[in-house]
Amino acid sequence: MADWGRTTLELIVEELQQPVKLDASFERRVMVRVRRLYAAQRKHRGRWFGAAAAIVERPAWAAALAAGVVAIATIGILRVRPWADRAVAANGREPVQFVLVAPAAHSVAVVGDFNNWGLGDSALVATNHQGVWSVTAAVPAGVHRYAFVVNGKQWVADPTAPRSSGDDFGMPSSALVVEDSIK
Amino acid sequence: MLGLEGMESSDAALVARVLHGDVNAYGELVSRYRDRYARYAVHMLGNREDAEEALQDAFTRAYRSLARCEDPERFGAWLFRILVNRCRTSGARRVRRGQTFVHDEGALMNASQEHPAEQTMWREEIERAVGELSPDQREAFLLKYVEELGYDEMSEITGVGVSALKMRVMRACDRLRTLLREVHSG
Amino acid sequence: MSNRKTRSLMLVVGLAASVATAGAQDPRAGLKLDATTSAAIRAVVDSAKAQGIPVEPLMEKMYEGLGKGADGPRIVAAVRSLAAEMASAHRALGTVASADEIKAGASAVHAGVPAVELGKMKKQSGLRRSLTLPFTVLADIVSRGVPVSTAANAIRALVGAGAKDKEINEFQRNVKVDIEQGAPPAAAAETRAKGATPSAKPDGGSEIDG
Repeated sequence: MADWGRTTLELIVEELQQPVKLDASFERRVMVRVRRLYAAQRKHRGRWFGAAAAIVERPAWAAALAAGVVAIATIGILRVRPWADRAVAANGREPVQFVLVAPAAHSVAVVGDFNNWGLGDSALVATNHQGVWSVTAAVPAGVHRYAFVVNGKQWVADPTAPRSSGDDFGMPSSALVVEDSIK
Repeated sequence: MLGLEGMESSDAALVARVLHGDVNAYGELVSRYRDRYARYAVHMLGNREDAEEALQDAFTRAYRSLARCEDPERFGAWLFRILVNRCRTSGARRVRRGQTFVHDEGALMNASQEHPAEQTMWREEIERAVGELSPDQREAFLLKYVEELGYDEMSEITGVGVSALKMRVMRACDRLRTLLREVHSG
Repeated sequence: MSNRKTRSLMLVVGLAASVATAGAQDPRAGLKLDATTSAAIRAVVDSAKAQGIPVEPLMEKMYEGLGKGADGPRIVAAVRSLAAEMASAHRALGTVASADEIKAGASAVHAGVPAVELGKMKKQSGLRRSLTLPFTVLADIVSRGVPVSTAANAIRALVGAGAKDKEINEFQRNVKVDIEQGAPPAAAAETRAKGATPSAKPDGGSEIDG
């Protein structure tokens, strides 16, 4: 590094780090281009979907098509398109199973930042199987905090999960990292 | 009353929404990153017009290739890499057209009216000096000191080895020192 | 949970702007904060936005407080604390860190890990991998008593050796079990990190273990 006074470098960097505001119409201009691309993509895919829709409106055609599809599927030529797989993990959410062993509990619910901490009756109610409570929910990809609520009032961290650090208001929470399987 | 206009979804969630057909979700990504990366583009290309064009181009390319973004959680970093490449192309195009690096009038106009005149002149000197750097040195200097990236990250973004990047940053600092001392002694 | 509905806090949060943005009905509609709490949180959120810090985690913290029945001042304190921790993590991690990395980094800072340690890990791993899970595990093992330096060294070694999230998860589970079985936290973390490092070679007949 040159024998340059740090102060001078700091001043230069400070100036260059000043925020730059773009014209308010920038976003609109980008989205015009993006929407054109989107429309072009839909048009290309729509040639197939449009044909299917037309066939659905004509029952005779639908029957003929159904028979044909069954035949092809049986033969094994038709493969499931990747888009169908993507639709399973809908909107970037992945299925996560929450399990708590609590033989003495009367009720167990899961609350966290992915379901508004149970506000508005959004708590996930677990089902009991011989003292093993579980519920599976679609959780968005990302890092989350959650806890179990036992018998409607006792907050319990997940003993099998990492602890969630941060102010927990005196009621323990656990950490969950969900990876996006669509990559 | 606490409105929720401040609510933000993660990059990964927005990317997933876009890939599932919610094109409006891409607007949120644009709005999230446009100012942050505009700064780099303006300093790299020296004028607002070229910077906006490069940034628009980067966003459009990113949308087109979104399904190939391997780590949607790091959409921002992936977009930045695209932008750095667009700026290189744009800069090369300007050289071929015979244009010189022009300091950013817009940046000067952005300066608060309350700032003393000296502050504006100092900024102008800095912009001019940065414009005098070679594109490679300017890129390395901006990534290192203004965008505060580590050398490994810079290497991933630019495709240039760490040693070469360090050399470019060092030369950029030397050149800036010389240019700014000339201004003050002249 | 019905007891919380008798709290003095008014619980209705306006949604007009968010509905316009999201294009869908937000299930948190119907919650309101008192004016003082609302103003205080709004100030924190605005400040965070100005610094380029993700705002969603701050809102989640607010809703966590509401869900757990905390009063206004407590919620404000928690949101402020989180904002400060995220700012610290954001400064250490730089421009290209993801929102989840900043969130997880904030949890590590809260647990006592200096932000500079997070920056070192980020520089080491670059853009090659996300550090969301490593930071989460770092926060966890520190909270279980592993000294900060030992924990940071262990996680940095794992990340540096190319350990995947699955391996780092397993490392966390093993350290937890070892500590529950009475192992000194530092020893547990050091031993498990050595074993979990993908490039670890078999011991040459060491008689130290066990």
